[in-house]
Amino acid sequence: MTRLSFSTRAAHAFQREVGRLAALFWVLAIPFILRVLMRYRIKDVAGVRTRYRALLKESDRPFLICPNHLTMMDSAVITWALGGSWWYLFHYSRLPWNLPEYNNFASQWPTRVGAWLTKCIPVIRGGRREDISRVIKRVQHLLARGETALIFPEAGRSRSGRVEADSVAHAVGRILTSVPGCQSLCVYLRGDRQQTWSTVPARGDSFYIDFELMEPKSDHAGMRRSRHFSQQIVDRLVGMEEEYFAGR
Amino acid sequence: MGALTQFHTGVPMTRDEIFAKVVEIVKPYVKNEEALEAVNEETNILEDLKVNSARLVDIILNFEDEFDIEVEDEDADAVNTVGDAVALIQEKLS
Repeated sequence: MTRLSFSTRAAHAFQREVGRLAALFWVLAIPFILRVLMRYRIKDVAGVRTRYRALLKESDRPFLICPNHLTMMDSAVITWALGGSWWYLFHYSRLPWNLPEYNNFASQWPTRVGAWLTKCIPVIRGGRREDISRVIKRVQHLLARGETALIFPEAGRSRSGRVEADSVAHAVGRILTSVPGCQSLCVYLRGDRQQTWSTVPARGDSFYIDFELMEPKSDHAGMRRSRHFSQQIVDRLVGMEEEYFAGR
Repeated sequence: MGALTQFHTGVPMTRDEIFAKVVEIVKPYVKNEEALEAVNEETNILEDLKVNSARLVDIILNFEDEFDIEVEDEDADAVNTVGDAVALIQEKLS
């Protein structure tokens, strides 16, 4: 794993600490937006959070949160569901770093500032390879120092509304293969009213969430190993989706 | 181009031959057919040929199969143009 430059590490530390201070404000704002304005509900939220905290106690190994992807609010809903805003205030390293598409939020400065304060590292999908590689190295560094990150293992929001097993984001496997001991937390999230992909979930939607820690294995090497890791994660999400629909 | 540069499974491959093979592998993923007709070593795979970035990984894995080489993720970061791909393959074969 490549060591980051001092300036990049300092920039991370600055972003993290300013974000930590700003969290005093958004711990109220985020639940207000999600619960009051959007009227979202998480099914068995107490059970979900108890399970998540037990999982964190069981292992001190780094992990990458890898959810299915249907809406642009997925990462916010998952983060809120797993921890709860107040909890993150006291466990700030567990607030996952996110990699939103730069063009989705960069057009207005309030969204840019908001993203920066909530541990986002912008990425331009399909952008220059050296830029994407730089972002991947930043995530590798953050995971290696015990922080959490969230990356969608599908190469975009699923157009079919189901996890697309042939749509695999290579970066997920690349990160997992390069951070010693790193595991993947596969997360399946779905609103009751979510039929296919959308920008935001329907107002008043109620979310099912399930998660499972997994450690991909592969006999391959190089890029093929990374691809194999990514594929195993997406395949597990397909399995979790089947379990969701079987249980309805 | 054209100098004898490498032997692959006992068969010598010139840079031109590697280039031709690379173009053949890239071809199914190309969305800009006009750029493909004028392809040369400076042609950018993503920007000029309009290959989907997610598919670039598939292309490089195809290189592994076709040339019997192993490519690391960091190696692939250097592949922007067709010439970069040819250079990477030549390096791996040497």
